[in-house]
Amino acid sequence: MAQGQNGERSILVVGGGMSGLSAALEAAEAGFQVYLVEREPYLGGRVSRMNKYFPKLCPPNCGLEINFRRIRNNPLIRFFTMTEVEKIVGEAGNFDITLKSSPRYVNDKCTGCGACAEAATTHIANPFNYGLDTVKAAYLPHEFAFPMRYVLAPEVIGSEEAAAIKAACPYDAIDLDMQPSTFDLKVGAVIWATGWEPYDAGKIGYYGFGKHKNVISNVMMERLAAYNGPTNGRIVRLSDNRQAGRVAFVQCAGSRDENHLAYCSGVCCLASLKQATYLLEQNPEAQATIFYIDIRALGKYEDFFTKVQADERVTLIKGKAGEITEDSTTGMVTVQVEDQSSGKILKDQFDLVVLATGMVPASATDKVPAEAACDEHGFMLGEQPTGGIIGAGCVKKPVDVATSVQDATAAALKAIQATFRR
Amino acid sequence: MEKKIGVYICTGCGIGDALEIDALAGVATDEYEAAVCRQNAFLCSREGVAEIKHDLENEGINTIVIAACSPRVMTDVFDFGVDKVCERVNLREQVVWSHPPNDEDTQMMAQDQLRMGITKAKEMQPAEPFMAEDLSRKILVVGGGLAGITAASEANKAGYEVVLVEKSDQLGGYLKEVHKLPPSRPPYEELQDFDLGAVTGQVTDQPAVKVYTNAQIAKISGAPCMFDVQIQQNGGVADERVGAIVLATGAIPYDAAKLEHLGFGKSADVITAAQLESMFKSGDVKRPSNGQPITGAAFILCAGSRDPKHLPYCSAACCVESLKQAKYFKQANPETPVYIFYKDLRAHGTYELLYKQLQKDGVIFVRGDVTGVEEDGSGGLVVSADDVLTGSPVMSESVDVVVLATGMVPTTALGKKFKVQEPKEGEEELAVPEDTIVVSNNLNLDYRQGPELPALKYGFPDSHFICFPYESRRTGIYPAGSVRAPMDYWRAVDDATGAALKAIQCVQMVSEGKAVHPRAGDLTYPEFFMQRCTQCKRCTEECPFGAINEDEKANPLPNPTRCRRCGVCMGACPERIISFKNYSVGMIGNAIKSIDVPDEYEEKPRILVLACENDAYPALDMSGIRRMSYNPWVRIVPVRCLGSMNLVWIADALSKGIDGILLLGCKHGDDYQCHFIKGSELANIRMSKIQETLNRLVLESERVRLEQISIADYSKLPEILDSFAAKLDEVGPNPYKGY
Amino acid sequence: MEPKYVSLEMRDYITGMGAETLNWCMQCGLCTNLCPWRLVPGEISEKFNIRHMQRLGQMGMEGFEDEQVLFACSTCSMCQTNCPRGVKIVDNVRGMRSSIVGAGMAPANLRPILGSAHAQGNPWSGPREKRTDWQQGLDVPQFDGDKEYFLFVCCHSCYDQRSTKVAKSITRLLQRAGVSFGVIGAEESCCGESMRKLGDEELFQKLAQSNIKLFNDKGVKKIITTSPHCLWTFQNEYPELGGEWEVIHYTQLLEQLLEDGKLSFPESLGKRVAFHDPCYLGRHSGIYEAPRKLLAAVPGAETLELTRCREMSLCCAGGGGRIWAEVPMGERFGELRISDAVGKGAEILTTSCPYCLNMLTDACNSMDKQEVLEINELSEILAASLA
Repeated sequence: MAQGQNGERSILVVGGGMSGLSAALEAAEAGFQVYLVEREPYLGGRVSRMNKYFPKLCPPNCGLEINFRRIRNNPLIRFFTMTEVEKIVGEAGNFDITLKSSPRYVNDKCTGCGACAEAATTHIANPFNYGLDTVKAAYLPHEFAFPMRYVLAPEVIGSEEAAAIKAACPYDAIDLDMQPSTFDLKVGAVIWATGWEPYDAGKIGYYGFGKHKNVISNVMMERLAAYNGPTNGRIVRLSDNRQAGRVAFVQCAGSRDENHLAYCSGVCCLASLKQATYLLEQNPEAQATIFYIDIRALGKYEDFFTKVQADERVTLIKGKAGEITEDSTTGMVTVQVEDQSSGKILKDQFDLVVLATGMVPASATDKVPAEAACDEHGFMLGEQPTGGIIGAGCVKKPVDVATSVQDATAAALKAIQATFRR
Repeated sequence: MEKKIGVYICTGCGIGDALEIDALAGVATDEYEAAVCRQNAFLCSREGVAEIKHDLENEGINTIVIAACSPRVMTDVFDFGVDKVCERVNLREQVVWSHPPNDEDTQMMAQDQLRMGITKAKEMQPAEPFMAEDLSRKILVVGGGLAGITAASEANKAGYEVVLVEKSDQLGGYLKEVHKLPPSRPPYEELQDFDLGAVTGQVTDQPAVKVYTNAQIAKISGAPCMFDVQIQQNGGVADERVGAIVLATGAIPYDAAKLEHLGFGKSADVITAAQLESMFKSGDVKRPSNGQPITGAAFILCAGSRDPKHLPYCSAACCVESLKQAKYFKQANPETPVYIFYKDLRAHGTYELLYKQLQKDGVIFVRGDVTGVEEDGSGGLVVSADDVLTGSPVMSESVDVVVLATGMVPTTALGKKFKVQEPKEGEEELAVPEDTIVVSNNLNLDYRQGPELPALKYGFPDSHFICFPYESRRTGIYPAGSVRAPMDYWRAVDDATGAALKAIQCVQMVSEGKAVHPRAGDLTYPEFFMQRCTQCKRCTEECPFGAINEDEKANPLPNPTRCRRCGVCMGACPERIISFKNYSVGMIGNAIKSIDVPDEYEEKPRILVLACENDAYPALDMSGIRRMSYNPWVRIVPVRCLGSMNLVWIADALSKGIDGILLLGCKHGDDYQCHFIKGSELANIRMSKIQETLNRLVLESERVRLEQISIADYSKLPEILDSFAAKLDEVGPNPYKGY
Repeated sequence: MEPKYVSLEMRDYITGMGAETLNWCMQCGLCTNLCPWRLVPGEISEKFNIRHMQRLGQMGMEGFEDEQVLFACSTCSMCQTNCPRGVKIVDNVRGMRSSIVGAGMAPANLRPILGSAHAQGNPWSGPREKRTDWQQGLDVPQFDGDKEYFLFVCCHSCYDQRSTKVAKSITRLLQRAGVSFGVIGAEESCCGESMRKLGDEELFQKLAQSNIKLFNDKGVKKIITTSPHCLWTFQNEYPELGGEWEVIHYTQLLEQLLEDGKLSFPESLGKRVAFHDPCYLGRHSGIYEAPRKLLAAVPGAETLELTRCREMSLCCAGGGGRIWAEVPMGERFGELRISDAVGKGAEILTTSCPYCLNMLTDACNSMDKQEVLEINELSEILAASLA
């Protein structure tokens, strides 16, 4: 097969997270031209905000680093950050794509030296850390950021501060006049890999998320545990920054629930087991309690479940947690639950409660700008009405990283097939 | 090629403010007599790069040393084509961002890093890809079940020729006995019909797919794009040359005969899920004991799975499979009593909705351990269990059949463990950790390291990498479906499609002379200077990918297209006969020797850090980006993998007077993070040899230390480096300084 | 332990009695953990576990018949509205009770109540002819076919001395707004909502049939209810028995009238008021705004919200027949409401359900808080604010 050079043999991958990166690389390494677009100013997506992966407890940046190197070494991939797809017109083998880039206010002269950040004075909520801390208005999204290029928050544009930031850059890399821009691509297939959003735990009234400071979501826990998070990896109570000792994990916070997400999110059981290990590793005195309906540790993940369960500091309680209340003076949070294996009804106090919020496919809210078929939950179907538009990863199913990569690899082949004109 | 070196020092990003650049340039011009040495305040700018290109064109520069930022960044900017050698010296992240400015030690560090860079560049050659002849682009798929058919058909749809080998007389595998499938699309409450003929038709009606049924792989020799396959069929042997292989031989149900405690073998009406499935497939649903209709059924989940006495793992598909079978009964007659005894009901994703539907259909779910399956005296069976949900032992009403949801055993686990040949009399025994290879008669690889894919725990030849689920241990051979890991139909379909792509990709890369993952695109490969080989077998034994065979005289027979370019063979070779064009024992050795080691009275110890370029090296960069500081005695040399470390480097460093050596590799052991599987572990094993070197030189054992570092451990690096320096301070200076 | 035997026959019997969704339950336990019984101590709290009770029902097993288990539920619907599987838990409770009560095994304390309802059409042992006694001193119109609305006054407000004030104030409000309405009187029977919840299906059917015939004969098209319980059963249970009318709670109607400018509340209250959401108005019927808008229209009514309000409101414990239950002090949900209201500085705790009024008043009195907290019904505040 000829190496893809023309438009018909190229593939657009939407979403620079684990699925998108994998799909892009797998297709490019098979000899096809790939355009990768990402809405955030960096590639890596949600996994770059994870602390470790289950079951190996290895850092996501390890695999990302390899993937970024694969991108750097592969001339067949072009990527665009801060870019979204506006329009898809056409059919398999022949798509016209309109893309829109938001201004980064930093051009490709940026060396990553950080002089702009030093000149900045405004702090904005840090999007990388789910707003758990702040960052300067000129910032590197995180230290592993690829590309390693700073971003200027739109909040300061037009201010004197912006002028000072521009003046501080020795390389003329700050461009305050940058405007949103649109551009077109011709491709033969589109892989839609925009990932997932955590379910809004605030919608589960009885858990008090957003009301009780020490009730957090599992994605926030990843940031708390990560060295490049808001606390340098210390798992603390948000009420007083004191190290958390007793932590509860509330499973199915939204998932398996007709009032919220009717499906099982597939990964939260393992995520909580994993997060229990974060806690115990940094605080040997800590206690983790997991409230669950069923522990869904499929396949060889059973070993990880068994291992975590064997730790006497981990308590697994079969029973979906009920109301969570807060003692506003001590910050302690109380979880109401029945331990079904003993029949005892418990009210336990914790420093921190982590809600295992589920996955909402990004395709449920940010829809594919073309005719695309999703189920009632927003998951993209395997068979699409527009041939050549292929879902990959968590837009198709709530799955873990390895399965997303597997699915993305499959999607790459489907896209390659679609680049042949019928 | 006559080397003409240009050294380009960037003074931007704080480098110029922190270092005496003229002194640094002096290293290039005075010590190394570089043809050109330029400084630029913004080397990565268009003008900076243009200046370099100008020198390439006008000054005849063919070897470029960029002393600037980390090689992790500005890669595209400093890309001068494969015919040029370009070496990056990391002055920014690993020198000026992590050490005090305008400090004598920082300056010395920068100068040494530049010396090492120039030394390496001097010895590097442009890569020349390995181009073999008679390359095949065909894909071999072993196994004609759902995964195999899918892999074959998907590869075919992408325009590739496929050879499909199935051991039975018909395609379809387990699917042949399957009645319906669980839902992969809405409505998730209903089962999905499928047409076996249409599934197999995807390959049988395709001219570019050659199907061998009643066939087995007798032998596979060769390497990617050059696999020679002998297929045994009808007493004869057919030969095929293929480029890459998908292994899709599936799994078999766990042997129910071992489940006597659940009544199997005691009552004819205790059957397996597979037996029940074929009953529904054939439409002949009857009690085995008396041929009467089934008026009540009980399913026992985790029959053998999640059980340390049988299969400790979860078989991943049985919960949903049992829900599906319960639905068969409910569809046939909604009044039929159906029980499901379970531990955790693992109806993941949208299968949850099928579970819900079965509850609505009135299936009784009992959570807890089954304590007995007994005949009730009237010809029926009763199941008792400790039901967590009522908090009491419970007993079912009488049912006609009890169905055991037996788990999956991969076909790669069936057979005896392969024994690596014992060392002959007088031969040195090598402590290379043995792989689990089971002689399962699937691939029959003619590989020195064993005939099948090395397996992970429980016999699945799965990838150990979360990010790279297709990374098998044998290049160009990709397991897919339930042989790789326990999985259900739909995941197997996805898995097989992905594996087909990996096979296609391997063929594509190899035909361009490129390495596949993780050094994808690398054009270099190990070259052997055979005249000096002593047949010690270390390279053949230590290669994590089984890339090197042996002839009868134990001479290594390298297969460059099987090679992943980690350099473990290069590290293993005591005769140092293995080298890459841009990476060799001598080159790194000379780089180490180029370090300026002050004499002991200057009290400036030197620490050599051999850092894995995949994790430890980026982690060092991160320390710099975070402006963490660590002691300035360290001299960092990136290595492809810690397994590529050759012991002579340790000897070189110690005899040069370097005080200590820190080896930074990836985690090894069960949860290894080494991208080359065993590289860091092999380095660890070589530590015992290092002790011999130290003993020979009468040096303290503390002088060499190995640390396992992940990319996220950068916060710990300063402490690791400082504490090692402190230790060396205790031990005192290396007595070989000045020799 | 001796094994318990699964009985599908028993399960099917229970589901046939109304517990149709019993088997939908996946036993997650959220119901038990959101149950208001978790908020109080005591024997019932320890014994009553709605998840476990349904589990026994699912398995057709004995063990749920214990009075303190089977009759503990106040049908507040906290569990049901949040149930992940959409299980109709209240119906399941009703069905399980029916399976016992229908077999003639109603608990002793409930027999006089059910007997009164059988004999006199109300559970309060009030003679049928005294149903209109509350009207004394008022000129309450009789319903005839020309009236737009039929005002159905809850039995509790017909017979309970305190509660009659509610009937009166609602009458005043309707009259002031010029609403065309009337009452029927002695022939009315109890709506039967609580009787059905207690598991006396036969009694419910009798009461409902009697009311349906009566209302239809009288030409009723639209009904105003004083109680959210009557509202709910008229809206949700009567239609399939042939009683199909437009039914509205008085707060809903008053809210409309307020908006239409037909009603205003000029007199200032000058008090801090908290509103207690009745379960049957709130979670069961989804009405949260009407009472709040009315209260907001009263000048000088400084409103505040209780800690548990709206969808998360805490039950008064009067539903599901619990209004007739004896509960020791210290274990009553109402006490938590009083403490919360007092703690938040409310001077009035108001509500819009006669059962809630009853239960909250009892709690307030037993806690001796009547000096600091007044318990009343929303219509009373509104009526007092009429010029």
